Amino acid sequence: MNSYILKTVVFFFSLLVLQVFVFNHINFLGGINPMLYLLFLINYRFDQDQTFFILLGFLLGFSIDLLSQTGGAHTIAALSISFLRPLIIRYSFGVIAETPKSFQSSPKTLNRLIFLFFTISIHHLIYFIFVYFSLDALYLILKNTFLSSIFSLILVLLTNSLYRTKQ
Amino acid sequence: MQLVINALLRFRNSILYLILLGISLLFLSNKSDFHQYKLEKYSLYLSGGIYNFFSDISDYFDLKKVNLRLSKENSTLKFLELKSQALPLYRDKIIEAGRFPFQLKSVKIIKNSFQNQRNYLILDQGSKNGIRPEMAVISSQGILGIVKSVSKHYSSIISILHLDLKINVRLKNKSAFGSLVWKGNDPKKFSLEDIILSSDIKVGDTLITGGMSSYFPLGIPVGQISKVETSSENGYFKISVELFKDPSQVNYAYVLENIDIEELKKLKLGISR
Repeated sequence: MNSYILKTVVFFFSLLVLQVFVFNHINFLGGINPMLYLLFLINYRFDQDQTFFILLGFLLGFSIDLLSQTGGAHTIAALSISFLRPLIIRYSFGVIAETPKSFQSSPKTLNRLIFLFFTISIHHLIYFIFVYFSLDALYLILKNTFLSSIFSLILVLLTNSLYRTKQ
Repeated sequence: MQLVINALLRFRNSILYLILLGISLLFLSNKSDFHQYKLEKYSLYLSGGIYNFFSDISDYFDLKKVNLRLSKENSTLKFLELKSQALPLYRDKIIEAGRFPFQLKSVKIIKNSFQNQRNYLILDQGSKNGIRPEMAVISSQGILGIVKSVSKHYSSIISILHLDLKINVRLKNKSAFGSLVWKGNDPKKFSLEDIILSSDIKVGDTLITGGMSSYFPLGIPVGQISKVETSSENGYFKISVELFKDPSQVNYAYVLENIDIEELKKLKLGISR
């Protein structure tokens, strides 16, 4: 258990640093940045207390906002995803698999993909809504959400597969 | 208390989420002027709506007071209107400059009958409020009648919807006098009688009070001519008049007091003696 906490802390800070100093400066195709820090919100164990998880999500988003000098969009998006996660899990894995032991051991690839897709796209949607914060920019919000989501999804899948093969 | 704590524990995630969301919104608005401006706009929209709602409610309870104030204001304005309508019609040399011997009092009509051939109104003010018989009663758009009798708190009015009442009127654009008499069925339909014949009476001409009686001042618009028929037997005109405002549909009125009425009565006595 202790090693799990340690792992989580290390994971948290390494993702934070990576996101702020590497992935926020990719600007692919004129400004698409993948959000790798979502890995933390995705890979966090399902059977843990959600209240603490919400706090962690808030903290993660807040730190990224602070370090990258952005407004509060990361905070709000990460916070909302950590709050909505049980719901997303329920919808993507079905009621039976509400609290599986850990995400990695889940056998069903399709469910995992749906879960990833929902988490990432909802996060990006909330993020871009708060970045543009205007109904006039609806087209921009949707376009950016779509493109960035694809990019993030690919990156998250790649990283996850790497991470798993290492273990 | 137990219930409250239980509820708090049950919804702790949602509560925590909302609190943190509030904090991040604050953070957002402090960091960026654009977001601050936007958030202020939304909050103004929201708080404006709420304030509007509450002010609507309080306005509703103030309505009676507001009505009273407005009716007072209206009576001052009505006085000015009557004065400005009457004065240009007098020749300057006859009348003392700017003198208008009438005073106004706003009243409420509490009973208004119009189904009979001889109708009466009842007002909510009486001798205690300074109302005396033979005062004129007008509405915002036209005339209503003449005070007949007064009790301490109420007064009864002979309505112009009364077959025996003749009101002295004249045409607005020329001084042809006549009397206005109710036809007896439709409260807006009147006929113009006793008019000195001049053939250029047209449909659409406006009628104003004539100022020959001591009741009504000169120049209150009453109605307009709706039909002119030449009767084949005797060559007289049959002139129909339609009032501007249906006198049966009026709730608030003004009582006109002629300050000179005693003086005029004395003069009339002198003549008849």
